[in-house]
Amino acid sequence: MTDKNPDKGYVALLGWSLNAIDAVDRFDRRYVVVAPPWAEEYCQQNDIPFVPWDFDRLNERSHELAHTLEDMGVDVAIPIFEETVEWAGAVNAVLLKNPRLLGQAMLFRDKSLMKRRAQLGGIRVGVFEEAHDRGDVIRFLKRVNQTLLKLDGDPNDPIHFKAFDKSGTAGHRVIRTPEDVDNIPDEEFPALLESHLDGWEFAVEAWIKNGKIEFLNISEYVTLGYSVFVPATPELEAHRERITEEIEKLIEVFDIDFGFIHPEYFLTNDNKLYFGEVAYRPPGFNALELIERAYGFNGYQGLVLAFDPKTTQEELDAFFPKEVVDAKGHAGCFGVYPRRRVVSRLEIPEETASHPFFEFHELSDPREQKVAKRSAFGTHWGLAYFFGDNAHDLRDLLKKQEELDYYV
Amino acid sequence: MSLKEASAMDDEAALIRLSGTLDMAIERLERARPFAKSRYQRPVLDVLGRIIAQPGGLDMVRQRAERMDAAGLFAGSDWDRPEVLLPQLVGNTLVSEDPAFQALEAANLARFLAVADGEARHSNLHQEGARHFLTQVLALNLKDLFGVPDEAARALGARQDVKRRVVTYIADHVGLNDVLSVLVSEIWRLLEQRSIQVGVVKDMIAQIAVALNERGTEPGSTRLGAERLVSALFGPTSASRDDPGLAVYIERISIADDSGLSREAMGFARAMHDTGLVSDYHAAFLTWALDHEERPLIPEALGLGSTGLDCWRHYRGLIEKLIRSAVSPATPQAAYGLAMLLDRGILHHTPMVPALERQLSLRLVGAARERIAIGFGPGVPPETQLLAGVLQVLGQPLGVGQGANPTCQSARAIAMWALNDPDYLLHLVTQVAEFDTLQMQFEGSPINSADLPAGLAGAGPIDADPVSVLLVAHLDRIYAEMGRLCAGRPGDPHTWINPQFHGWWVSRDCAVAVDVATGKLAGYEDFLRRFFAAYHPEHNGGRPLGHPQPAGIAVTDAQQRFVGWHAISILRVAEDQSGQMRVYFYNPNNDSGQDWGNGVVVSTSGHGERYGEGSLKFEAFLSRVYLFHDEPLRSQHGQDIPGNVIGAVSEKAIASWAADRWPET
Repeated sequence: MTDKNPDKGYVALLGWSLNAIDAVDRFDRRYVVVAPPWAEEYCQQNDIPFVPWDFDRLNERSHELAHTLEDMGVDVAIPIFEETVEWAGAVNAVLLKNPRLLGQAMLFRDKSLMKRRAQLGGIRVGVFEEAHDRGDVIRFLKRVNQTLLKLDGDPNDPIHFKAFDKSGTAGHRVIRTPEDVDNIPDEEFPALLESHLDGWEFAVEAWIKNGKIEFLNISEYVTLGYSVFVPATPELEAHRERITEEIEKLIEVFDIDFGFIHPEYFLTNDNKLYFGEVAYRPPGFNALELIERAYGFNGYQGLVLAFDPKTTQEELDAFFPKEVVDAKGHAGCFGVYPRRRVVSRLEIPEETASHPFFEFHELSDPREQKVAKRSAFGTHWGLAYFFGDNAHDLRDLLKKQEELDYYV
Repeated sequence: MSLKEASAMDDEAALIRLSGTLDMAIERLERARPFAKSRYQRPVLDVLGRIIAQPGGLDMVRQRAERMDAAGLFAGSDWDRPEVLLPQLVGNTLVSEDPAFQALEAANLARFLAVADGEARHSNLHQEGARHFLTQVLALNLKDLFGVPDEAARALGARQDVKRRVVTYIADHVGLNDVLSVLVSEIWRLLEQRSIQVGVVKDMIAQIAVALNERGTEPGSTRLGAERLVSALFGPTSASRDDPGLAVYIERISIADDSGLSREAMGFARAMHDTGLVSDYHAAFLTWALDHEERPLIPEALGLGSTGLDCWRHYRGLIEKLIRSAVSPATPQAAYGLAMLLDRGILHHTPMVPALERQLSLRLVGAARERIAIGFGPGVPPETQLLAGVLQVLGQPLGVGQGANPTCQSARAIAMWALNDPDYLLHLVTQVAEFDTLQMQFEGSPINSADLPAGLAGAGPIDADPVSVLLVAHLDRIYAEMGRLCAGRPGDPHTWINPQFHGWWVSRDCAVAVDVATGKLAGYEDFLRRFFAAYHPEHNGGRPLGHPQPAGIAVTDAQQRFVGWHAISILRVAEDQSGQMRVYFYNPNNDSGQDWGNGVVVSTSGHGERYGEGSLKFEAFLSRVYLFHDEPLRSQHGQDIPGNVIGAVSEKAIASWAADRWPET
């Protein structure tokens, strides 16, 4: 570790992410990676500062981790994954001598509590309920559809099923029929049930310092689980002011002083903003990378600034560009799923390969010929990246990808 | 702006855009810490893969080679240590299934090239070392440089195109001087097979001419061989030695005396029979000689032997018409075809003279005319191209090649008819030329190719000889239809198709080494014994093979890995000069000389082969056969053959194509 400034903060990254480590290693702050013991050898070989830790369950040993880091002189812990959010809360409660941070983290980890808290704070949310077993799901499905005045035999409006403590699209199911309910594995309970909202779904990435938004990005979903791009279309960015107000409400309701949040919203056809959920960690789908491509700053380094208590306002002002106007273009990515039952090789569709917006992909060659049936939204086989100057063209291009075979 | 210019501009715009993307991807790689390089390598390789597919793309790669190397493109792989890389592995990596590996190898070679040219430096790679490495890569991949695709290459498709582009690029920059000797012997090896299509060989010779002209070589055998090739094409006689251009040449011979003309004629004949290539001067001389009243120069200029001379005396009028109509600056090779045709004596076969007269007056119509025009360009009328093609196919039956098409059966059939039944072949040519259809029968049911859907070859090849371009699309459809008519019959459909398709002389029984349903070997030992009994002179009562017999080969690559099933014909079985029993066969593939692994290397000359024949020792050949025809009434299955002889053949098969075909018991 050279060129690190000892006058600036010392951060701990909770969770193993090579992208995050790479970015932070290139930054001016001291850092340490807290990750499972299997990473130890790798860290030794590559001179990555490392503290081994097993995150499997939060227990009395969280104090031990907090004190280990405190003794090292670490100023703050940054959660990299959903599973380390409450660890970061527990550790930061000690490091920053603020016990409230643990409670706050628990709110972020429990989708049901999170939603109730938001509702209590006057934030608009859809109809939701907790489910502990399949019976709860069936009841919710029926009730939602009775409310919608559907008759027996009419196709149901879908409901959404989200395992309590999974992140992103993992554990997220769309339920239409009792048969869908039967397909939910036991381990995904308890879960949050939500009514389906027709509308425009998008996510926000917000870097926060001293209760104030330093940078607010709007990520427009083309299709949930498939594609996203930043900055959003002018039509969505037109709502930026209202969205900013919504984020400020979240900051107030969840009592967020610093860090990074990643909430999801619906803009319905009647022009109302519904809060979906919020995470206190970097988003999946490499959204930070898209932001870097569009704006030129590294999101992980931004995270360090937002968490580090020693960060100055001048640093923040110098680091973050101006939203939308400073973007060099629109960056998007598409998660590729094989569309055929049996595939033998990766072949980028010709019209994609020759499109001026297409940059490159990170798709793996098919390791197995058999395609697993998608149950939940599941994981894609890799991402294809796009960049261009026109948000509408990019959106249409990303949409178009859904009809193309990358694996044949 | 023409379409071509417009598309060139598109290409350029695409390249500029891709270079921007590449630079961005390289920057990300540069920024990454050593431990995170691997994540940023793949995007770079992905963009590289698209760039090398663009015209001019390799220049761009080369300009950035040093920078990509420094950025860590090779970090964590064998390529990070260029000093230990092996040139013999390059070829396979360039056709890797994973485009990332192709791109990686292309970037690596671009780095070697930059170092070899002194544009870049590398701490573990010296300029001389880099150049030497690239020379070896070229010499090992010459085949790709000059594009004679074999089965293995054809199966690779676009992957092969990448390889060819990269290898050609290296050759353009390193030059071929160092690899000249390899190249010269490669050309002689190809020429000895006397293919009808000599475009590739002519390209190679033109390259050599340029290389000799630009850089010269050390005197020696390489130079001699190279000059022999160059002069055969560009100046085979004393009046053409300085390659004066056709107009000057005609002026020169117009004032030459008798012995001078005779010397010219013999000079042309010697060069033509030496190489199988016909110089443009030769073609011009022949046309000129038709109107030279004083003395017939044609027989001398064609270098006819006694049979040919006899045909000349009988059919001079026809032969002169054939020269006038077929030999042109666009079709000089027709002269060689004609010379060989005359020496085969087939004009004495009664129907041939009227058949060729019909060919002379034939007018191509409709789709058939278009196909020939597409395949051979507008230089001369399609009729001239076709007539030239007919002369070549009849003169060099074993010179028929399938081009880059999966149509070995059709090519084999054309070769077989040209050899066995030339007037039948001309009958087929006439049908397609005039009616754009072929009519055949399968066990009494008429088949009309015009009614059938396209076969394996789609609309048919355009990269083959004119007769093939005309016929193959139709033959291919008929072949496929015969296959459909055999659906449901137990066993291999070739049993019935081959005799119906080719002719009465194909033996009616058929032995197959594998069970068609399971793909496993079945009754293999009997199969081998039966082949000995049918074809080996010491086991079949010393009967020579009368007609070529179709057979199926399991083609393997140099590592003995199975590549695919392939159609050939067995021509004869005989002892070579050293007393080894060999099978001489025709391979419709464009280059018979192939390494099938484990010492099974097909020889094309030096073991008693005639032009166009490939040969293998009897046992080695048999180890790759999976299907052959045999007379049903003569089924003594060779029980007298020693078990160890059969066992040795069987072992060779099981070590290669039959490795995973051993039946489970």
